[in-house]
Amino acid sequence: MALPKVYNWQLGREMDYRFANGPAKRQFAAVFNTNRCIACQTCTMACKSTWTFSPGQELMWWNNVETKPYGGYPAHWDVNILELQEKANPGGQVWDATKKDPKNAPYGTFAGKTIFETADGLTNMVTGYLPPEEDWKAPNIYEDTATAFSKTGVSLPEHAGWFFYLQRICNHCSYPACLAACPRNAIYKRAEDGIVLIDQSRCRGYRKCVEACPYKKSMYRPSTRTSEKCIACYPRVEGTDPLTKGLPMETRCMTACIGKIRLQGLVSVDANGQWFEDRQNPLYYLVQVAKVALPLYPQFGTQPNVYYIPPRWAPRDYLRQMFGPGVDDAIAAYTNPSRETLGVLQLFRATQKIIFSYKIQPGPKTGEINVAGKVRELFNDTVIGFDSNGNEIVRVTVDEPLIERPAQVTMNTI
Amino acid sequence: MRIPTVIRRRPITAGVALAVLLTAGVLQFVGVNPAASQSATLTAFESSTDPGTDPASPAWKKAPVLQAPLSFQGATYPTGGGSIPTVSAQALHFQDRLYIRLQWDDATKDDTTTKVENFSDAAAIEFPAVSAATVPSICMGQASSGVNIWQWRADSQAGLKDPADVYTNALVDMYPSKDAIFYTARAAGNPYADPNQGPTQTLVAQAFGTLAKANVQDVKGDGVYADGKWAVVFERQLTGGDVDQATFTNGKSTDMAFAVWNGSEGDRNGKKSVSQFLKLSLVGVSLTGEESSPAGWIAAAALLVGFVGLGVGLGWYGYRESKR
Repeated sequence: MALPKVYNWQLGREMDYRFANGPAKRQFAAVFNTNRCIACQTCTMACKSTWTFSPGQELMWWNNVETKPYGGYPAHWDVNILELQEKANPGGQVWDATKKDPKNAPYGTFAGKTIFETADGLTNMVTGYLPPEEDWKAPNIYEDTATAFSKTGVSLPEHAGWFFYLQRICNHCSYPACLAACPRNAIYKRAEDGIVLIDQSRCRGYRKCVEACPYKKSMYRPSTRTSEKCIACYPRVEGTDPLTKGLPMETRCMTACIGKIRLQGLVSVDANGQWFEDRQNPLYYLVQVAKVALPLYPQFGTQPNVYYIPPRWAPRDYLRQMFGPGVDDAIAAYTNPSRETLGVLQLFRATQKIIFSYKIQPGPKTGEINVAGKVRELFNDTVIGFDSNGNEIVRVTVDEPLIERPAQVTMNTI
Repeated sequence: MRIPTVIRRRPITAGVALAVLLTAGVLQFVGVNPAASQSATLTAFESSTDPGTDPASPAWKKAPVLQAPLSFQGATYPTGGGSIPTVSAQALHFQDRLYIRLQWDDATKDDTTTKVENFSDAAAIEFPAVSAATVPSICMGQASSGVNIWQWRADSQAGLKDPADVYTNALVDMYPSKDAIFYTARAAGNPYADPNQGPTQTLVAQAFGTLAKANVQDVKGDGVYADGKWAVVFERQLTGGDVDQATFTNGKSTDMAFAVWNGSEGDRNGKKSVSQFLKLSLVGVSLTGEESSPAGWIAAAALLVGFVGLGVGLGWYGYRESKR
């Protein structure tokens, strides 16, 4: 059976997918800055206390933060998929970095096979596996476990002993594996925001989605015998939360982030999930212009929509396996950010409302800094964020304001 | 001693004709159409007692058994199954209700779906919907010709449990609420998530992937696992709850197919062991139980005499002809 061909811009090529493209208009997307995360799990608990606190959801964490390289929820999810793919296409899971195009193949071209292309299309639409119950029972296993203890200490660019935190939610993929795997078509992707949902009235608990999702973000609930997944807090994204009076709002896991590592929004996309040029959208800028944030395991082929600023101290071969061949450029762009990148990074967690566009007002030079052998000038620019109607919702400066407290106020202080 | 042929042939011819008439008459009387019985037919005789949903009911003792071969489902994604090679089917009707009993060998009783890797044993029967324009595709029907599916599930029969009731030593701080709304699929009306649904579901479909809850949930059932076998009884009134369901009429036959899922093999959805279309024929004669009706015995005796007469007559006729 010949499957429809769809274009996957993250892979720089066409690929097989069970369904032809639908009429997507906007896509839920986010940037996570792994460099800033302290694994406090506030995001995890914000999600848990909002959506998954009921009987049958005990092992269900739509949001989780795991310590790489050893941690994983469910255990070893990523290396298990990588191994299945390597077995299906031995030695062939490689990128051709020479075939690059700024819009259609920004990271080069993936020469290997996606999880859709290694499946037989009869027993499975997607190569995957069903993690057994015990794999879901220790969501924070290997927390803070480094690869080695270096007696001489560590230094950039690559630490001798290392770990980093990987924050994970459903990627609301442009080509969802869960959706392709559901024999009942009980999973759908919304045209208005690209959010992927499981219809709880139609799901019959076959767990083909749990088996297929390479990120393992479709989860089985025994108390209803159905599978559930991250719903991207769609009432907030729709703007139906009373707090923002009709304006689209970021999800619980995003807004709860005290490390200010997350920024979420909506981007305009065509039927391929390719982003329409929207130069002043902060997500468009970070992903398509600065290329400082990269998709997680793009080689799986689902075109995931959470983008990561890679940790700049981890070994590059590991990071290239995880985020693709764009890693070196992304780390360079983050280590010495341009004036605009530094400005856009200030928008992370500046407001709960979704920022649809930004403007930067240049400020005075405040100093010089030497990072990784490069001298860079610092400017106290002002960044202004606008909502879906073009109204200003936030204004922040690159220099954090310093507020001095009067000395006589001592009561109830620390 | 040689007997003049002319004299001897008449009574043989007459006897054969009589036997044919007798047999045809009885077949007509019991509602079996010889020309229509190309595929295997399961005859549902009238039961003199209520069989109920207990698979061990004595009403089943004399009901004819049809051994339906099952095979791997290879028509559509996800293909699979084939671990259950055969299912034994019986059918009865009593007053205005139809009863179908299925029995199959399964070494493991899989009736819990607490763990993500657990899948349930199950069985289903498929019939054309009353509204079907033609005989529907055996593969879940098609747009103009839907099917009515009766499914029994071992996990539904065992009951829907919260994990905390299964893992009694698990520590849970608290559940803010146990209201039905927080069991999302249950609140959405999903029959599989409804603790009051019982072991069976009444379903309808018009193509692959369209299986849905029927408007009327009127199939009852019960299953018993013993000695490495599942025995399951389905029960429903002869008249379907609406046009999307099947209706059964005394003296008529309908298409019917079986599916069995083996939970320990990971069977679910299309991964199942399936039969071809068979015939289910309802006859207004009782042949079962210890106290079958006299009419049934008379019909059976007449049928026997007719067949024996036919055989002997034809044999003798053939022998005579060969000697001429």
